[in-house]
Amino acid sequence: MRHGLTPPRHDPDRAAANGSPTGSDQALFGDPLRSASGPRPTALPEMATAVIILNEDREIEYVNASAEALFAGVDPIGCTMEALLTSCGARGVEAARLSSAADEPITCTRVHLADSRVLDCEVRPLSNGGFVLSLDDVTDHVRSAELANRDPLTGLANRTLFHHQLLDRLEVVKRNSGRVAILLIDLDRFKAINDTLGHPLGDALLRKVSARLTGALRDEDVAARLGGDEFGVIQSAAEQPDAAELLAARLVDLIGRTYVLEGHTIHIGATIGVTVAPRDGLDADVLLKNADLALYQAKAAGKGTFRVYETGMTERIQARRLLEIDLRRALALKQFDVVYQPQVDIATGAISGFEALIRWQHPVRGPVSPGEFIPAAEEIGIISAVSEWVLRTACREAMSWPGDISVAVNLSPVQFRNGRLLEVVTSALSATGLPASRLELEITEGALLENSDAVLAVLRSLRALGIRISMDDFGTGYSSLSYLQKFPLDKIKIDRSFIRNIDHEPDRLHLVRAIAALAKGLGMKTTAEGVETLAELQCVRSEGCTEVQGYFTGRPVPAREAAALLSSGVQGSSSREND
Amino acid sequence: MADLYRLVYYSRNRVADGPEALDTAISSILEASRRNNARDNVTGALMFNSGCFAQVLEGRREAIEDVFERIQQDERHGDVSLLAFEPASRRAFANWSMGFVGASVHETMRYSGTAEASGFDPSRMTGDALFETLVRLAIEEEKA
Ligand SMILES: Cc1cc2nc3c(=O)[nH]c(=O)nc-3n(C[C@H](O)[C@H](O)[C@H](O)COP(=O)(O)O)c2cc1C
Repeated sequence: MRHGLTPPRHDPDRAAANGSPTGSDQALFGDPLRSASGPRPTALPEMATAVIILNEDREIEYVNASAEALFAGVDPIGCTMEALLTSCGARGVEAARLSSAADEPITCTRVHLADSRVLDCEVRPLSNGGFVLSLDDVTDHVRSAELANRDPLTGLANRTLFHHQLLDRLEVVKRNSGRVAILLIDLDRFKAINDTLGHPLGDALLRKVSARLTGALRDEDVAARLGGDEFGVIQSAAEQPDAAELLAARLVDLIGRTYVLEGHTIHIGATIGVTVAPRDGLDADVLLKNADLALYQAKAAGKGTFRVYETGMTERIQARRLLEIDLRRALALKQFDVVYQPQVDIATGAISGFEALIRWQHPVRGPVSPGEFIPAAEEIGIISAVSEWVLRTACREAMSWPGDISVAVNLSPVQFRNGRLLEVVTSALSATGLPASRLELEITEGALLENSDAVLAVLRSLRALGIRISMDDFGTGYSSLSYLQKFPLDKIKIDRSFIRNIDHEPDRLHLVRAIAALAKGLGMKTTAEGVETLAELQCVRSEGCTEVQGYFTGRPVPAREAAALLSSGVQGSSSREND
Repeated sequence: MADLYRLVYYSRNRVADGPEALDTAISSILEASRRNNARDNVTGALMFNSGCFAQVLEGRREAIEDVFERIQQDERHGDVSLLAFEPASRRAFANWSMGFVGASVHETMRYSGTAEASGFDPSRMTGDALFETLVRLAIEEEKA
């Protein structure tokens, strides 16, 4: 009968042996010293568990078949365990720990071999001074546990592991008063890239981002992918928040650097919220909420930057939410206005056109600055509607001006993305009757960053209609000169930060000279923005700018006054200079 | 070669001041470049003047993307402005795993003095112009 032939697996003696490390060893294994010459118990050679027996000198005396299979190709008899394991690439500490196990009744050690197998080893002393080792191959188990904790795309920790690690670190902080920072990182413009260039490229980009992220961290920091384009970092350091601020600044720079991928040039940005324990709390959920608030603030500040959580942030965010609520209603309640700032031809001193600028007058808040509400309008997704309103209003009001006076209207990068721009512009022209040649559209570098080919096609169609395109705020973004070649532009508007005090700042002077020369070479005009004094005007004129716009040559005025300015003939720079 | 690409950029030097620090940085950059580029079949030229690096890289698209990714992460420079990244019909620096324009830093400093006086400033050049300049300088270097 089978029962009689096979060693009974559920023998009560063995069950007892498992529960008692020393007492019944011999019942199971016999006396190893003697059995070196005598017969083994029948169970041992066939056991699924790998078993190794060491003599008093810790040399391997016996291996069963399973153990032999584990170390195939090596003859272990006579070696020490440490020698056997290190020959298989185990880490020194693990092997040493295993072979020095003497005083404790049972030692369990997890050993990692070079071929990436993972063994759980258990050592029990025998009454005769030797030891018995049982080894379990737990590779599959460990790997699937690791997989469950890893983001498959990037190999970073996933949300679950991030959370566990955070709890562990917070325990340490509670015990010995160390400090821990949490960084939440959102990628800017990633969604647009993913949508236009496709998911495989988006995935490849995420892998590059995670490589840059881990490259900037120390081994003990934790990096995780928390969602689509959301990452998290846990950083332990004595000096917090200083260390976290340094890291955040570095990550904003590093992740924001240009990528080249499958022939595409890609620009994305990183926005980061930071919070620090124990300063901002010790509860993981509270800290994550703080980091999220800080992230929200960083986004409100225009993205591509970081913010550290501060008390009071909640209040500020509350204030911002109220602003957003008012903003959503502003269009319907007709609280917006358009004013027009003269653009003056430097050579003739005459007004050549006006830039249309939006104003928001709220009954309770009073005037709200565009610097405050435009980012908010972008964030809540009403910027296209607002820009469209400005465009129509400007085209209509410009019709009341004489001759060929042009009107310049700002476009938001979002408008390039939604694919309706061409239609919106043509409909504004046909509804108001403004000739295309009198409309100028101002774009920022931000619009050119994403999906250049689609943007290029739209710009070409607009120009084909006779509309002029100018690059606004030049010098403040990536300022890649390649844009000037690649995109069909009629004019560069040099940002006011380069014009301010240009008569005292030789660096700025050189820059403006270079840009004006470059633009001239490419057949474009240049406008100096923000000219406020006669000295600045004289500088930009001698450096070759073709137009000026600024308080010195005229503040923004309502459409009717703009018309009056034109008809009164009080125009431009030369008349002012001659005063 | 099929799939030949050319990449041109310039960047701001962020190595600490002093000719020694620069010397060390540039030697180590060139050493790594020559080693890795020879392995990856990448060729090109690097030029340095007191404030800027300018570099042309040519090779298989994937190889260029990989080396540029490493270069982007290098803290010895910043504000990398990519001027061109496009298919090319042939290599312009076929014999250079990484040609360096200016034999030593001192010479480069001296060189950059005259270069600045003559108006050389990579930040004012288009990708094509910078590429042409590096080709011309590399040829002069080869003759010298
Ligand atoms: C301006 C500049 C140009 C560089 N050019 C190259 C290059 O052409 N090839 C390259 O392999 N590394 C280049 N590097 C160095 C890389 O950033 C990086 O340090 C190096 O590839 C690491 O190589 P290693 O891992 O073999 O040491 C450059 C670095 C700088 C700052």
